[in-house]
Amino acid sequence: MNNAELSGGSRLLKIESLSKTFPGVLALDNINLTLDAGEIVGLVGHNGSGKSTLVKVLAGIHRPDAGARIDLGGSIHFIHQDLGLVPMLNTVENLDLGRRKGSWAFAPTRRDERAEAERLISRFGASFDVSVPISKISPAECTIVALARATASWSDDRNILVLDEPTATLHGEEAERLRAVVRQLAANGTGIIYISHHLGEIVELADRAVVMRDGRVILDAARGEFDRERLVAAISGRISTEPAPARAIEPKRAVKLRVRALSAEGIDKLDLEVCSGEIVGLSGLIGSGMEHALGAIFGSRTCTSGLVEVSGRTVPRMSPKHAMKAGLAYLPGDRRRLGAVLAMSAGENLTLSSLSSICGKMGALDLVREWATVEHDMRTVSVRPPYPDQNFALFSGGNQQKILIAKWLRTKPSVLMFDEPTQGVDVGAQSGIYQLIRQAAADGAAVLIASTDEKELATICDRVVVISEGAVLTELVGDEVSESRIIRASRGHLARVANYPSKSQGQTQVEVRRI
Amino acid sequence: MTVRHQPMLIAESHQTPSEDSAVDLGNKIPSIRWKQWLNPKNVSAFYVFVVLFAIFSFWIPDLFLTKTTWRTLLDNQVVTALCAMALVIPLAAGVVNLAVGAQVGAASILVGWLLVKQGMNPGLAVVICSVFGCAIGFMTGLLLVYARIDSFIGTLGVSSLLAAFITAISGGHQILGMPTGFADLGTNQLFGVTYPVYFVLIVAVALWYLLERTPAGRRIYATGGNIEAARLSGVSTAKVIIGSLVLCGLITSFAGMLVTARLANADPTIGPGYLLPSFTGAFLGSTQLKEGRFNIFGTLLAVYVLATGVKGLQLAGAPVWFPDAFNGAALLIAVALAKLQNGQGRTMAIARAIPGFLLRRKGVASTAVLAGRQADGQEP
Repeated sequence: MNNAELSGGSRLLKIESLSKTFPGVLALDNINLTLDAGEIVGLVGHNGSGKSTLVKVLAGIHRPDAGARIDLGGSIHFIHQDLGLVPMLNTVENLDLGRRKGSWAFAPTRRDERAEAERLISRFGASFDVSVPISKISPAECTIVALARATASWSDDRNILVLDEPTATLHGEEAERLRAVVRQLAANGTGIIYISHHLGEIVELADRAVVMRDGRVILDAARGEFDRERLVAAISGRISTEPAPARAIEPKRAVKLRVRALSAEGIDKLDLEVCSGEIVGLSGLIGSGMEHALGAIFGSRTCTSGLVEVSGRTVPRMSPKHAMKAGLAYLPGDRRRLGAVLAMSAGENLTLSSLSSICGKMGALDLVREWATVEHDMRTVSVRPPYPDQNFALFSGGNQQKILIAKWLRTKPSVLMFDEPTQGVDVGAQSGIYQLIRQAAADGAAVLIASTDEKELATICDRVVVISEGAVLTELVGDEVSESRIIRASRGHLARVANYPSKSQGQTQVEVRRI
Repeated sequence: MTVRHQPMLIAESHQTPSEDSAVDLGNKIPSIRWKQWLNPKNVSAFYVFVVLFAIFSFWIPDLFLTKTTWRTLLDNQVVTALCAMALVIPLAAGVVNLAVGAQVGAASILVGWLLVKQGMNPGLAVVICSVFGCAIGFMTGLLLVYARIDSFIGTLGVSSLLAAFITAISGGHQILGMPTGFADLGTNQLFGVTYPVYFVLIVAVALWYLLERTPAGRRIYATGGNIEAARLSGVSTAKVIIGSLVLCGLITSFAGMLVTARLANADPTIGPGYLLPSFTGAFLGSTQLKEGRFNIFGTLLAVYVLATGVKGLQLAGAPVWFPDAFNGAALLIAVALAKLQNGQGRTMAIARAIPGFLLRRKGVASTAVLAGRQADGQEP
């Protein structure tokens, strides 16, 4: 398996004519790929383009078809999107998973373990309490724990690290920190396969970009030979439409949503107003309260004080049911956990919030009408395939999100709220979702979008509200709504925020331990 | 590796569904449905029944193929069937109700106590007993929802409380001498079949209608599928959970009253025996008809297929311990099947079952590396 070239030279991974057939589907079609020591290969593509299958073949979960040749010149490690950490255990305990220390009978002392854990995370420029459960630390810190765990067991410098969307849950600043860590690892000779939906990240980070589509490698370009547009074109197979034709909205339309002094976990006296036909973005760092705001407005998080008005009427009680009745609609960011019932069909999910509209005589469900309307709705939001009885979990991320949008549009909401509307959604489906959002606004709904993707906010929003410490920090209107302005606005105040670990940025350094 | 730039707009292609996806689904549905329905994966229990029927028909035709056998088979399983169907509702709502057996026992004793010891009018006793069953379900629901007790532990506690209740009012003794009017309910026949069999059919149709054809049923399944998503969709999950337990309590208390009526006496030890068969029925039922979903007719089918197996073996001279062993094994197999049916379990199991060397012999130079250290990498 290991030929001389690999064990001696700088090549860490060589894949030749790799194909993978699932019953009826050619998931990977004659893939050729190499990875050298110290190289960062950015792997991009639609959901369903074969990226995940490729990773699963490398991880040994799937077996490739006959004729494939995969040569490994080092050990290979994976950090999956969900990181594989145990939320109830703390950092020390999570780092120890899969490793054996101490003598055969006695575990090492807690103090030694702590010191070791702190040393491991400090190599990534981090210092946080290693004795609190993983569920209590920030997403960026979780990623660092996962990285520390993967690299802790490295016994030589011939390593391959596969990162599957490591920055999906991270905000700009934190993602930048992670990228610095990745660069350091590469500088120490690790070959890195970096999978991401964020094209900007790939352009910035990758030495080589590999674009997959329909199970094939469509583009394999070295640094300097690719840019964002080229990647987008390769991923979607066509040229993307450039954002938002500037939409003229008449000023001072009817206020649809008014939030007054709302306080909840992470939210401190938040005030907001959104007009009919307006698309307002919420930006802010993770931990700023931006990620909790919509849940609080919708009543799914316990609110301690404040009130929410929809079309001038106060929502009587803060609960999702009352919020819905008042005309609010909310699409959470975590589709699998909060957004949908995976075990039910697309149609059942689509009508869950508007069951009374498909009731016939005697309050019973009119299944024929349901099928017809659901199919119609699925076509309207261009879900493919538009099969109402297909299991929801079987649809791709983009289609799932479209189904959920259709679900909420059915309730004819006055206010439509999205957390991370295009998280885990491929480039092609993204613009489709933006169009649906614009259409909803054009039909008179007030739209509120909380997103950590500044480009997304700049693309779609008329106005962006920047949140910090649970309250409104500043507001960007009109021409001010641009990616760089939003980023500057949400980070600009960092120096003023106490205890933000910005000092660690300068210290970011990684040494790959050698034994 | 060049990229062809096609001057097509993404937005455009998303607006109009392509031709191939626009096939007329309306015509396809019925034929698909029928094939799905008859698929052995879908109604395996039916095929198992056919096989069992064939075996016993050849083995012991003089005992198995008689009217009495089938009449008693239908009649004997009435209480189990009711319990299993009652259990389907909380299970569908994501609540494991371990108190179903105790609920049956409590209702059985209570109705006997009211009729014999209190000399109550049967009609009134039935009403009180039904209210009692609903109340138990309601209290259990409140405990689970507002005290946030895990359903496993909560219903286990409730079942112990009910056991205490049974002993307290019966003193551990049977209550004999039910009024004939009441006992007739459990033993009288219509068209050669006892009343309770008709009760089962009525309850089955009513529950099927509730779960499959009403918004309430949709909400029950949504709550069981993903309680957070259901809540964010505007479903009052607390109401759904409490309601499902109330309905379960009502049906189990009805089953308990039938037990007393059929035996013409109330036995304080009768309840717990119904727990395991109910779970077997509900879980095995979830592997039938509705691909992994708890459902009424699948459960009914499962209960009677299992009963056919047990009955046949008993007639053929199987030892007395056999029904317990059969039910236990069936429950384990049923749960395993239900797990396999959900998610990727099945494909993964098949992938694991195929030995690696078989594939490697075909000349696949793969490197099966799992996260962590890989030994080959260090070789020179």
